[in-house]
Amino acid sequence: MDWKGYTLIYVVLFVFATIQAVVEFVGLVDSAYWLAFGIIMVLSVVKAVGVAAYYQHLISEPRSVTYMILGGTLGAIALTGAAAYSIV
Amino acid sequence: MPTTSSLQIGADDLAFPRLNALSYWLYLFSGILVGVSFFQGSTFAGGWTMYAPLNTPAYIPGEGLGATSVVLALIMFTAAVTMGSVNFLTTMYRMRAEGLRMRDIPIFSLSINLTVWMMLFAFAALLAALMILASDHVIGTTYFQFANDGSTLGTSAENPGASLLWAHLFWFFGHPEVYIVFFPALGAMAEIFQTFTGRRLVGRKWFIISMVLVAIQSFIVWMHHMFLTGINLPIKTIFMATTIGISLPFDLMVFSLIYTMAKGRVRFKTPFLFSLGALLLFILGGITGVFLGAIVLDYQFRGTYWVVAHFHYVMFGGATALIGGLYYWYPKMTGKMYDEFLGKVHFATFFVGFNLLYFPMFIAWETPRRVFEYPADLQIWHNLSTVGGFILGASMLVMFYNLFVSIWRGEDAGESPWKYASTAEWAVGSPPKLENFPGLPSYASGSLEFLDDEEVAERTGKPPGAGVAADGGTASDGGTARNIRAVTAPATPTAAAHETGGEGHASHASFWPFLVSLGGFIAFLGLSGVRTGSPVYVGMAAVGGLATVGSLVGMTRESFHAPEMAIAERWPFEGVEKMKLGMWTFLASDVVLFGGFIGSYAFVRVAYGWSDWHHDLIPAEHVTMPGLINTYLLLTSSFLVVLAMVAAKREWRGATTASLAGTFALGVGFLVNKGIEWNHLFHIHSEMFPNGWTLSTNIGSSTFYLTTGLHGAHVVVGLVICGYMTIRAWNGAYQGDDKPIEYFGLYWHFVDIVWLFLFPLFYIL
Ligand SMILES: [Cu+2]
Repeated sequence: MDWKGYTLIYVVLFVFATIQAVVEFVGLVDSAYWLAFGIIMVLSVVKAVGVAAYYQHLISEPRSVTYMILGGTLGAIALTGAAAYSIV
Repeated sequence: MPTTSSLQIGADDLAFPRLNALSYWLYLFSGILVGVSFFQGSTFAGGWTMYAPLNTPAYIPGEGLGATSVVLALIMFTAAVTMGSVNFLTTMYRMRAEGLRMRDIPIFSLSINLTVWMMLFAFAALLAALMILASDHVIGTTYFQFANDGSTLGTSAENPGASLLWAHLFWFFGHPEVYIVFFPALGAMAEIFQTFTGRRLVGRKWFIISMVLVAIQSFIVWMHHMFLTGINLPIKTIFMATTIGISLPFDLMVFSLIYTMAKGRVRFKTPFLFSLGALLLFILGGITGVFLGAIVLDYQFRGTYWVVAHFHYVMFGGATALIGGLYYWYPKMTGKMYDEFLGKVHFATFFVGFNLLYFPMFIAWETPRRVFEYPADLQIWHNLSTVGGFILGASMLVMFYNLFVSIWRGEDAGESPWKYASTAEWAVGSPPKLENFPGLPSYASGSLEFLDDEEVAERTGKPPGAGVAADGGTASDGGTARNIRAVTAPATPTAAAHETGGEGHASHASFWPFLVSLGGFIAFLGLSGVRTGSPVYVGMAAVGGLATVGSLVGMTRESFHAPEMAIAERWPFEGVEKMKLGMWTFLASDVVLFGGFIGSYAFVRVAYGWSDWHHDLIPAEHVTMPGLINTYLLLTSSFLVVLAMVAAKREWRGATTASLAGTFALGVGFLVNKGIEWNHLFHIHSEMFPNGWTLSTNIGSSTFYLTTGLHGAHVVVGLVICGYMTIRAWNGAYQGDDKPIEYFGLYWHFVDIVWLFLFPLFYIL
């Protein structure tokens, strides 16, 4: 990827971060908490995937590297999700 | 074990020899630190599960400094384990002999491979648990205790998730840990079965699939250790199902071993006897474990001798296979044969003693565990156990005598004393030479050969990577039994053949790993007592910290070159150079580390009440803006790192330096901004928080400071590397070679990604 591609990614990341803050500033977190929660977390996931895919070049590595990271991520999600569910 | 498996895969060393030295020294010093803890008043006395809140200072009698030392020592140990895991995996995926596909590596090496995968992820979760615990001890966060200031015991209303949080983190590590201990034994068992039945494992493919399944499933059964806690019934039911489910792949492995025996011609040598014994013990241990996995039965069996008996049948059963492995590889390690008759005597007494010791415990299962009183009518069984214990212990003396005396009196073992042993370690002399092989091992022709210098040069003269015949290999560990000595006969060791591609064997002599570990030891010993304010402890923490950082810098500056193998099998990581693969592997474990921290935050917040959290625990002064600014700073710094790569590739020295310097400046800006924010929050005087909002104020402040603090520490490490690279770039480095920048970038972008989640979780939601 050349500098133009990197710049495009950067702009998208910047805008998404701003949207996350705007969601709070317009009061959505207070009025519709779980909707705001959903929007914000989805944006975070999209940003993370963007950084991993293009800045860390996962897109051009063998897929096995992605699977390895996904493995760790799944473990962390299993721990968080199941533990939290166990006490609700 | 490392030696055996590196021999089996055809590697001449580990991928990162100096990192290996570092993990060894850290491991040693972690042990010394535990030893020292006994002299600090009292050491940790909470058992191996270290349950909360009894693992926190408020609940430990006296000053509890020794307990803190143990927690810190375990962190050091876990760091050593993680480095070892990264090293092993990189070795196995980058340094296999040509033609040796993953599915063909000997079953013992495969068991080690899966063990290390489990270690990589499980120990990262343990590291999270230990770091949080250490922070409760040293800097006064309140994750695992109800008390908020360390002297008064508060109520659970302030932090209702405290003790369950520890149980979750610990057992998420603890169950895989049991398999981490057991898997090498399983691999040795299967290896020995093959050699002494003269047959390849029946259903080898399914055996491997079962092992992989068990390794994965081991991460989703942990709550069977928590059936008697207050977790809800639906989750218990789910974990009962996953637990019983994990016995299915184990059943497949057991059947495979039994059929292998039935189809082959068994030779009852000592290693096989121990392996067969281990299989029988494991079957009994496994079946009795399924009882414990059922919720209702666990209500009865928990904390009784049923557990003690089950556990020993499984784990000591595993050790039985390892004793078999010791006899099996003893000729390889020493070059001498042990005495077969004494070996059989050992097995007979061992097996009788074992069952006499542990089987009566199933019958006397109503005996409470860890309590010395029990109903009088059970006494006969306990007496039998005692006799069995003595027989078992005495049997081991026979082995020590046998193995010790055989070093002098044993017959020469030659390359291989076992008729149908087919794995690569039996193709070299006993004991193996330091460089492992007489030349570069290759299975490309279908059987093991050693390439000399000329062949390697001829092959690598072709375009890199193209010469590797990825599909040419056939099963390495004996599609059918064959005699490896015949196979390897043509491979005459040539002079200097061990030098692959002109590179000598990498020198391991470096003082830096030792000094780094020594510095870490002093720093941790100091940290254990900083809460007392004693100048001695504070001084040790400071001096040790400086020594560690200084030695790390020294280690970085030392020139050190461990060449990649000239020709190797690298699926599924072809094209990922070893430094890059090492970095990615480390990051995978770091994902779990941060996952543990973020998961802990989510857990205690759910326990407290997700929506009340913000209202009750977080001051109004904690606003979004500093977090947003820091998000912008980090995103921009990541952008500059990729620009530095572009500039380095195009050999624009000025632009490379400027981009790296910019990254550095933005990282510093991030920390300064955070410092201002923290300082402000520490000193607020509101009605809710008249004394500021500090680490110990409540569970909300604890999670905020510690989680973002761990991230900040990652930023600091990144800045040290970035600063170093900026100076090197200024001096003209990296032009035309952007790889070092790329590797640093992998780390830096990861730190960036973590922040992308911390920002919303701790500033918005
Ligand atoms: Cu378990």
